[in-house]
Amino acid sequence: MGGKVTCTLGEVKNRADFIVYWGGNPAECHPRHFTKYTIMQKSRFLPRGRKDRTMVLVDIRETKSVKAADIFLQIRPGKDFELITILRALIKDQPVSDAAIEQTGLQRDAVEDFVRRMKAARFGVIFFGMGLSMTRGKHMNSAALLTLAAEMNAVTKFVAMPMRGHGNVTGADVIMRWQTGYPFGISYNRGYPRYNPGEFSTVDVLVRGDTDCAFIIGADPGATMPRPAIEHLRRIPTIVLDPHVTHTSRLARVHITTAPAGIAAPGTAYRMDEIPLPLRPAIDSPYPTDHQVVQRIHQAILAKPDWRARTAQQERQLDATN
Amino acid sequence: MSRDKTNALEIVDHATCTFCGCVCDDIKLHTDRQRIHKAERACVLGKAWFLNHTAEAKYPAALIDGREAPLDDAIALAADLLYEADMPLVYGMSNTTCEAQRECVAMADTISGIVDSHTSL
Repeated sequence: MGGKVTCTLGEVKNRADFIVYWGGNPAECHPRHFTKYTIMQKSRFLPRGRKDRTMVLVDIRETKSVKAADIFLQIRPGKDFELITILRALIKDQPVSDAAIEQTGLQRDAVEDFVRRMKAARFGVIFFGMGLSMTRGKHMNSAALLTLAAEMNAVTKFVAMPMRGHGNVTGADVIMRWQTGYPFGISYNRGYPRYNPGEFSTVDVLVRGDTDCAFIIGADPGATMPRPAIEHLRRIPTIVLDPHVTHTSRLARVHITTAPAGIAAPGTAYRMDEIPLPLRPAIDSPYPTDHQVVQRIHQAILAKPDWRARTAQQERQLDATN
Repeated sequence: MSRDKTNALEIVDHATCTFCGCVCDDIKLHTDRQRIHKAERACVLGKAWFLNHTAEAKYPAALIDGREAPLDDAIALAADLLYEADMPLVYGMSNTTCEAQRECVAMADTISGIVDSHTSL
């Protein structure tokens, strides 16, 4: 699980009596999350379902998810890290000044009530969305929240889980972790995997112009990335695999149309709680699958001579065998 | 899989929706293998996802420099470009299967490139 203090959605469904959504809008972005996994389900441990559960929403603005929540904490934009730090202090009964609490946009009463409820929970869970992980503080916010969940275990059972978007993005994390030991932002340029977000993360690599060829699969950076990154994709040879001709396809050297995963292509996808699920395609696509195309490109590369630099020892061994 | 007698559509039960991170695996699809006509239990986002894809060949198999090209040529050119690059980047992997992701990581290893996903955004 990459070191997270977490659990599966099945456990949440059966046990979680205190549910926090932080920086996310499940009502519109994950419409079945409430009904399938969190607040609406009845279970052996929570026989009255919704009545046995408390839901808190932490966000910077009122979204459609507010209606589903028992408590809505509207915080100032960019103050997530501060609030998490205050909560971490308060659960350990450390003093926090009124000024520190007020800068988050909340009153002391509301924050102390939140802490009381967290501590009184039998099984607490915090789901965090991109409103937390993609704003000021970024991965430091996620790290702080995961620490908060971990520290809450001194009091009661508490877990945290990211609300992943984009279908199988969880699978990408899992597969890279399995193959390389790291979840994303990996470079093989020394012949072994190295992990360094900021150096090997795509936006940074593109903005700095560090890459001289891009292979894009199941993503459309041409529509979502900052302009300097897109400009670099246009400058270098870009290869796109996608079921549609996307913005990125239009600036690419090569576009290959593939069958959409889960609809026409079989395989496996990971749910946000890292449960792998089989795909059951219902359409016969005229296009090959992503897997088939990547395999063919990889085979074509493997058929070429290995160009990688050899060590002096390897050179001597090669000379000896020739 | 069984045939629905009333409208002669094939039923794919326990189908999996890969639109969002929930990956709901309880969807009942009614399909004629060309188009999905109904997606039971899917949410608004899932319905749109299933019903908007068809088996129709809407796009050319491949494009090279914006022009239609045979798939084999596109695959050969892609391999050449990745092989010749000093610092190739493999990016995305969100809307695809784990099988394809695994092959992407293996390819990044072969070409000594960078491999990264949406997670880094």
